[in-house]
Amino acid sequence: MRGNIQASLLKLAGLFLVLQASLITLSPIVRERSWGAVPLWTHWLALLVWGILILRVQRAFAKSLPDADPYLFPVAAFLSGWGMLTIWRLEPAYGARQALWLFLSVLVFMAGMQLTSLKFLQRYKYILLVGGLGLTTLTLIFGTSPSGVGPRLWLGAWNIYFQPSEPLKLILIVYLAAYFSDKLPYRLKIVHILYPTMILGGIMILLLAAQRDLGTASIFLALYAMIAYLATNRRRLIVISVLTLVVMGIAGYYFVNIVQIRVETWLYPWNDPQGGSYQVIQSLIAIANGGVEGRGPGLGNPGLVPVALSDFVYAAIAEETGLIGTVGMLALFGILFARGIRAALHAPDIFRRLLAGGVSAYFGLQTILIVGGNTRLLPLTGVTLPFVSYGGSSLFTSFTALLLLLLVSNPVDEEPAPLENPAPFFALHRFLLLGLFVCALCTGWWALVRGPDLLSRTDNLRRVIAEKYVPRGAILDRSNSPISVTSGAVGSLRRRYLYTDLAPVVGYNEATYGQAGLESALDGYLRGLQGSPASTIWLNRLLYGTSPPGLDVRLSIDLPLQSRADHLMIGKKGAVILLDAGSGEILVMASHPTFDANRLIETGAGLLADPDKPLINRPALGLYPTDTVVRPFAEALYASANLSREQWQTVYEKFGFLRSPPLQMETVSSVSTAVEFYVSPLQMALASAALCNGGEVPAPRIVLAVNTPREGWVVLPAEGTPMKVGQPSAMTEAALSYAVQEGSFWSYIGTARDDVSSVTWFIGGTLPSWQASPLTLVLLLEEDDPLEAGRIGGELLGALTNP
Amino acid sequence: MTAAIFLGLRIVLALALYLFLWRVLQTLRREVESHGVFLAAQIKPGIQVEAKMENGAEHHYRFKQTEVVIGRSLHCDISLSDEALSASHARLSYHHGQWWLEDMESTNGTFLNTHRIVVPTVLVTGDQFRCGNTLFSLRVDLADGRISQGIQNEIGGST
Repeated sequence: MRGNIQASLLKLAGLFLVLQASLITLSPIVRERSWGAVPLWTHWLALLVWGILILRVQRAFAKSLPDADPYLFPVAAFLSGWGMLTIWRLEPAYGARQALWLFLSVLVFMAGMQLTSLKFLQRYKYILLVGGLGLTTLTLIFGTSPSGVGPRLWLGAWNIYFQPSEPLKLILIVYLAAYFSDKLPYRLKIVHILYPTMILGGIMILLLAAQRDLGTASIFLALYAMIAYLATNRRRLIVISVLTLVVMGIAGYYFVNIVQIRVETWLYPWNDPQGGSYQVIQSLIAIANGGVEGRGPGLGNPGLVPVALSDFVYAAIAEETGLIGTVGMLALFGILFARGIRAALHAPDIFRRLLAGGVSAYFGLQTILIVGGNTRLLPLTGVTLPFVSYGGSSLFTSFTALLLLLLVSNPVDEEPAPLENPAPFFALHRFLLLGLFVCALCTGWWALVRGPDLLSRTDNLRRVIAEKYVPRGAILDRSNSPISVTSGAVGSLRRRYLYTDLAPVVGYNEATYGQAGLESALDGYLRGLQGSPASTIWLNRLLYGTSPPGLDVRLSIDLPLQSRADHLMIGKKGAVILLDAGSGEILVMASHPTFDANRLIETGAGLLADPDKPLINRPALGLYPTDTVVRPFAEALYASANLSREQWQTVYEKFGFLRSPPLQMETVSSVSTAVEFYVSPLQMALASAALCNGGEVPAPRIVLAVNTPREGWVVLPAEGTPMKVGQPSAMTEAALSYAVQEGSFWSYIGTARDDVSSVTWFIGGTLPSWQASPLTLVLLLEEDDPLEAGRIGGELLGALTNP
Repeated sequence: MTAAIFLGLRIVLALALYLFLWRVLQTLRREVESHGVFLAAQIKPGIQVEAKMENGAEHHYRFKQTEVVIGRSLHCDISLSDEALSASHARLSYHHGQWWLEDMESTNGTFLNTHRIVVPTVLVTGDQFRCGNTLFSLRVDLADGRISQGIQNEIGGST
């Protein structure tokens, strides 16, 4: 009966792992959406090792531990296999090491199964303790860190590292169980029972504190308190320990750097997402990306979370198997804890009862601490998830602890020892299960409630990775000539910017520098999240974990005109806007100096530091002094330029200078200081459009349409509405007063200066006699050169009117 | 196509995980049930108790339950008007496959074959014990409810 349960559970665990391994094998084919992708096979080796070991152990069980608890070993086997495949999928080299560690741990485990009695542990408790402490002390002198950074907690030789503080936890449990079971029958006063253990426990905790391994130190304190509570049933001990932990935490916060960092990144992670809280935030993003259903084994990007192998293995599993997987995993841990406590209650003597209780508390505390750390329920402590995390010391200790539980649970026709008060055991049981429940709730919170927020963060690099596999929509000009396109093979798709001079306007979409310009403003369409049917979005996320193929957008930019403007602006600093004054469509939007977004990786740092600010989209975001340049507007409204302060205010308001233009991308509003009034070239262009079209500030448009999968090209309307300014005749009159003799257009050139610089404005447009749709041009040069402004502006307007 | 197969496998994967958990719950439930059935099916042998009081009165009792309290109080299973008995004087109880006699901190004590008992003590057929001024003798039934062979002989011999 017992053996049957264990065998059938192991078969189910095996089924799960075979399925997981198959999924990992297939994952590159799904990720690249082609059978040409190379499937992964090596991780089956890990599964083979697992299978052989489990078969051998299962056979040994019948002989050595026929009556041991049938649930403990299958759960441990399940978790260790799950962990090993996850590690292999992240880093095959570490997966192979983990398989080796599993082999060694199980070997020791099988040897330990032959033990018939645990009395020797009770007898040699001091030798064990001194040995463990000695090894840990050695790390103070000879300690190294395999990764080269962080606390030096390992002893190593020939590239094999071992962390003595891991087995030391188990030794502490054995020692305390033995000590309390020896002393309890004498019923000494509580102080007499406690102080020898307190001294030893204190030494251990100090030792670990000296090593700056504070997570382990707090586990030691908690284990100490729990075993003492199980043994003596004094609730005060728990209270005292919690207070000690809090005091230690507060003292650590003020005096120990690492504690301060850990606490601050826990309390205020959003303040420093690129620094101390990087790990935690990436972990939360991974959990959010997993959602309920998970991205599927091999299809997530848990490698983006630092130390996903050991500290953040829970986040990796959450990303790939989702809430469904993590709740299942926490339930597995719940079975482990519950059966451990059951073994404790059924133990035939007090030593074994305390031992099993202590081991269950050890599993429980480690699990809750690290899962809590991954989900920001608790500050991050670098402890491992039992059986799952990468690490030889951890795996070895977990299997040894499991062995102790199994040995205790294998009764040789012995009655359970009398139990004076079961309350501490019940309390421990409730505490551990409640802890798991809260961990599950917390995972659900990040996966569901905060998921969308987290996924849209710019430091979520999954978007950048997904764009290597899913084409981003193209940006086209008004006659569908490409401006920005995505091309290349699936898996190495690249954004190419074909018309490079538009870079400040079109922007870029790049891993290191993020998004800017229209690439940022239209990201929803370009990534297919806006404009695609909801079912398509949902299906793509479910199947591939990505957004659907992007949609192409058509701009109002006219590339031939744009290139003529850019050509005239070579070597200049400034902005050009050519606007269809009737419809508000922007035909030309030039910003100089410009840059080549294709070479952003090499030039980005230089561009950011460049005093000429080539990254700024000058027409929409630049603010320039105006001085007398607003004169034509004043004349259009009041037929005079000698206005009171209130009248100027009315001019500014009527011509739309006091708001940021409602464009489909970022714009700015004017700024006024005591002496000067600053506006953007776009604002100026919209105002001057009113002089060309008979008194209406148009609603600007730069995006005309988006190509949706269902309805083809869909027109995107302007974001604002046109504003009536004044009498059409007065407007026309003002424009006519600046008409250029030989042409059919008007223009006004003015310079403006403030303390730091001077600029030249050219504003102009077509006259009412113009037959086609009215046009307006605004040119800004960041220098005092009216002649040059007149030349460029005249040439551009001339090109329009005499094509 | 591959993606659909992949999704199908993912669903089976989740099912395998929860099948494991379901299996654990199912076997645990079965264990609890079978344990209960096992306990219920355990046959508790009844006892017969003969009480000889100081005044010569004799009472004969037969019990099927697993706990019998002797005392002066009317609530006791064996309630006798013996002045030397305490209200609840002693307890006979069946556990661990034996009948046990236990003194309930009575004033005058409980004596098993002349020895005063302080801890619960196992009783076998033929044992005599005294509470107050009343002498009790005990016969344990066989597991199936019949009176044990030895006792039958004893009864046969005495009549």
